[in-house]
Amino acid sequence: MSETPDNATADRPKRARIELLVRSAEGEGFETREIPSALAYLHSRPQRIPDAQWEMARLPYAPRGVVTYALKNRRTEQIIQITDAEKFLWEQMNGHASLQEIATAYLLRYGSFDFEIIPTLIVKLRHADLLTMRPVSRLRAVLARNRRNPAARAAEATLHALEKLTVTSRRSHNVFERIYRYGGFLLFSPVAVVALAVVVALGSRSAVRLWGESGEITHALGEHALAAILLVKLCFWLTVVSHQIIHALACIHYHRRVREFGFTILHGFIPTFYADVTDIFMATRRARIVNALAGPLVHLFLGFLCFWIAGLLRPGLTLGFLVAYAILQVQSFFVSLYPFCFLEMDGYHILVELLGVPSLNHDAMHFVREGLWRRLAARQWLTRQEVICVAYFGLSLVSVVGFILLNVWVLVHAGRS
Amino acid sequence: MAPRPDVAFLRQVVLFKDVDEPTLLALWPRLRERRLKKGDVLFRAGERGEELFLIRSGSIVVSTLVTGRVEQVLARLGPGEVFGEMSVLGDEQKRSATCQAESDAVLLGLGRNDLNQFIESSPRDAAKFFQHMSQVAFRRLRQSSDLVAEVTRWGLEATGLDVEHK
Repeated sequence: MSETPDNATADRPKRARIELLVRSAEGEGFETREIPSALAYLHSRPQRIPDAQWEMARLPYAPRGVVTYALKNRRTEQIIQITDAEKFLWEQMNGHASLQEIATAYLLRYGSFDFEIIPTLIVKLRHADLLTMRPVSRLRAVLARNRRNPAARAAEATLHALEKLTVTSRRSHNVFERIYRYGGFLLFSPVAVVALAVVVALGSRSAVRLWGESGEITHALGEHALAAILLVKLCFWLTVVSHQIIHALACIHYHRRVREFGFTILHGFIPTFYADVTDIFMATRRARIVNALAGPLVHLFLGFLCFWIAGLLRPGLTLGFLVAYAILQVQSFFVSLYPFCFLEMDGYHILVELLGVPSLNHDAMHFVREGLWRRLAARQWLTRQEVICVAYFGLSLVSVVGFILLNVWVLVHAGRS
Repeated sequence: MAPRPDVAFLRQVVLFKDVDEPTLLALWPRLRERRLKKGDVLFRAGERGEELFLIRSGSIVVSTLVTGRVEQVLARLGPGEVFGEMSVLGDEQKRSATCQAESDAVLLGLGRNDLNQFIESSPRDAAKFFQHMSQVAFRRLRQSSDLVAEVTRWGLEATGLDVEHK
């Protein structure tokens, strides 16, 4: 008799869990955390052996339409055959990307995901001694190793404290579904596009008129400089929530799941809200582009709305505040859509979708660091993808340097005036 | 000393469930009450131990150091359970794990000398005590073996190691 699916699920052994007790940095309190093995697996960072120890060659005798490669461990002389998709995964296994990130890159590249491909490849690579595994965070590992050093201890305590500031809700999906049902869907309708166009038109007209009154506006702001700056920054920070909410609603619009919504300290120093909308990768390319575009459009809308309202007011602190806030919003719109800065923001995601190069940032860094100079020395033409990588790297480098120089100029100029 | 003899509680403790009531009444004044607030560490692994503890109320988490501030939870113990016996009865007098209150807890501590007096004064009850103690030890040994197996399985799953086919 065949086994029913329900029985099969019941008979399958549960994923193993370990329960850890983590003490606070002060050593007083503690919390216990259950860590499922599946989570640890997703966060592991496979690393291929050093480049000098392996070589790869494309096999000429594969069946028509199927590209396969021979991957050889030079030390053990073991050779395995891998497909084009497996080669892509192999290239991601640099010790920096987690399995979760590798799976995402795969999905973006191939548009679908085979749940067996990564475990199967890892087994194959391990049998040929082509792979090692690294812990989750190398920074944390280094800090843990140097705990005797007070600076390392302080850095570790700071990181831990910042991690503690993360507030996450994994049950936010239902909330966003409700928001979408009770009016959020309008944001993805032609009505929203028309409203945005009208607000941008009205706001632009006001902005042009206000430009002529910039002296009065800056004067009004200058009288309450500190209050104005703090107010503008605080209000702007709060609008980051709406940016993330729109991303989440876009996810719902395309029938995908919002995995998390919360507050965290990004890169250890930027307080921000975030929405985990990675499920959108399972949707169409159009959905991914709309999702990436939706967040920045919030800034465009708020910016021009403020310009419009400011245009109706008399000179004073309120007008000055609205104009400063509007400028910051419009600036954020452009910054978040600007793809060339090595940061994977909304604009970057749109760019990779348009170019069809899902791991552009990683590929560009890798190619410029390791492949470009060899190709130039050999005077070989670059492929389309390599040209894209070089262009992305060059534009990003120029942008970052330009941004730094601009800020230096602004500081120097402000100091003189 | 704990306030009033609570024989009913001592009967809940597996070590004392077959001990005669007069012996329990005589033992009661030797038990020292300890109150812990949530998060209080009763003792840490490696410290010298002179007492075993009975949990009257609350929950105690038993853990052992893994790395840095991270420890592995070995067990959670609740009312009626005993811990700390290894350093009192074992060959080493050091605590083998760290015990900490997971919630506000009331414990009764029995010191090494008091335990020895209990054994000497009523050998018959002491035999029952040790019979149950060995059952407790065997159960904990079994739990430790299960934990080792679970942690090994966790490691295999977490690293994706396929040991069956290598």
